Amino acid sequence: MLGLFQSEWFKLRKSKVLPILLSGPLVGFFVGFALRYEANELQGQEWYLTILYMNLTYALLFLPLITGVLAGVICRYEHQSGGWKQLLALPVSRGKVFVIKYMLVLLLVLLIQLLYLGSILAVGAINGISEPFPTEVVWKSILGGWVATFPLVALQLWMSILFKSFAAPFAVNVILTLPSILVINSERFGPYYPWAQPFSMMYIGGNEGDVFFIPWEQLLTVVGGSFVLFFLGGFLYFQRKAV
Amino acid sequence: MIANLLTSEFLKIRRKGFWLLTFLGPFGVVALQMVNYGVRKDYLLQQSNDDWGYYLGNVHSFTPLALVLGIAILTSFMASIENETNAWKQLIALPVSKMNVYLSKFTVLACLMLFSSVLLMVFTFAFGLVLDLGSAVPYMDIVQYSFFPFLASLPILALQLWVSTVSQNQGIPITVGILGFILTYSAFFLPDWVIWKWPSLMNDANEPVQNVLLGVGVGCLLYVVGMIDFTRRDVK
Repeated sequence: MLGLFQSEWFKLRKSKVLPILLSGPLVGFFVGFALRYEANELQGQEWYLTILYMNLTYALLFLPLITGVLAGVICRYEHQSGGWKQLLALPVSRGKVFVIKYMLVLLLVLLIQLLYLGSILAVGAINGISEPFPTEVVWKSILGGWVATFPLVALQLWMSILFKSFAAPFAVNVILTLPSILVINSERFGPYYPWAQPFSMMYIGGNEGDVFFIPWEQLLTVVGGSFVLFFLGGFLYFQRKAV
Repeated sequence: MIANLLTSEFLKIRRKGFWLLTFLGPFGVVALQMVNYGVRKDYLLQQSNDDWGYYLGNVHSFTPLALVLGIAILTSFMASIENETNAWKQLIALPVSKMNVYLSKFTVLACLMLFSSVLLMVFTFAFGLVLDLGSAVPYMDIVQYSFFPFLASLPILALQLWVSTVSQNQGIPITVGILGFILTYSAFFLPDWVIWKWPSLMNDANEPVQNVLLGVGVGCLLYVVGMIDFTRRDVK
């Protein structure tokens, strides 16, 4: 298991994944600076408003989309010149390969979340926000957004294994992510749409009482349910995939 | 020669999902409004006296987003046709110039985008009629909202085609596409010179034609830059 993880890590290091990871804080910086003046209007809420605005674009659109790219990068070597055959000819089980790849994408998403957190801090420092940093709220938001991508990553990994080209799984991702813009405005449908969950879990104005910003029932049923569905779908598909 | 190249390019994109995506883009944009109006039609009709104008504005709020992402997907798809089977070498080994190869790829993509603009016009008009928004149909506005975003996004098409043909790793052009998409989504906050603002048809002068002219002009320029760079690179 550890050897498999190492081999995946080596492949990843040669995959030019760093520019993709850095795009996360780049979006953070862009939104953070574009909205500087509006955030300054309200004293006493500077951190709150800065993070609220930054998360709006980042969590609603960027995070769901970039998970698809990361899942695609993870499968890139295998799709080139019969890599699946070479990998699966090794004494490894297909289940383990799938789980390792999944965990590695999750790790990359966590990295991008942490880099984004760094961009929040940097934006605050450069804009000269003197208020105390709302540590707990921000960590809730960063980790919550990460948890909300679990089902999305599972589906994207499935699609990336299914399609040889990079663009096809991304197209699926786009088709499912764009409706979020409308869905989050709806109180009726918003809680049930898995692609809107990263936004809900990073929305710092949400329910303060729970561990994350959405109720436990919603986390377990929508995020958990879609995770089980997509993960099992991808797992079973990979077991039967002809290489 | 260019005609033969175009024919071969159109043959290559058959049964790969290109036409499906070309259809899904405009259909998705209008379908989102079908859901939007389906859920809260009464509320939306109350928002303005100009029901057609308000409806077109709603459709147009998604057109640039779908366009920018659609361009990223199609250009990357186009490059991966050759990348996947290492066919660049074989293609260039034919008695064709590299310039014409690049031109034919660009032309095919522009045709696909143009076709999706036509579909967008048809779908917008048809669903507008279904909604029964009044007898004064603003035909000119429908045409403008369907074709202007495409013309204004030509620089993005040229840029994305360039990035995806020279990238070995298609994750790079897709990431560039996502970043461009984020810029388009935040178009309201951007200065006028940013090319990703143009498909939204917004500018300080409030003159959509300006974006179209800029789009076509800068699009040609970026196309030539990309083509020259493509011809000078070694084919791996």
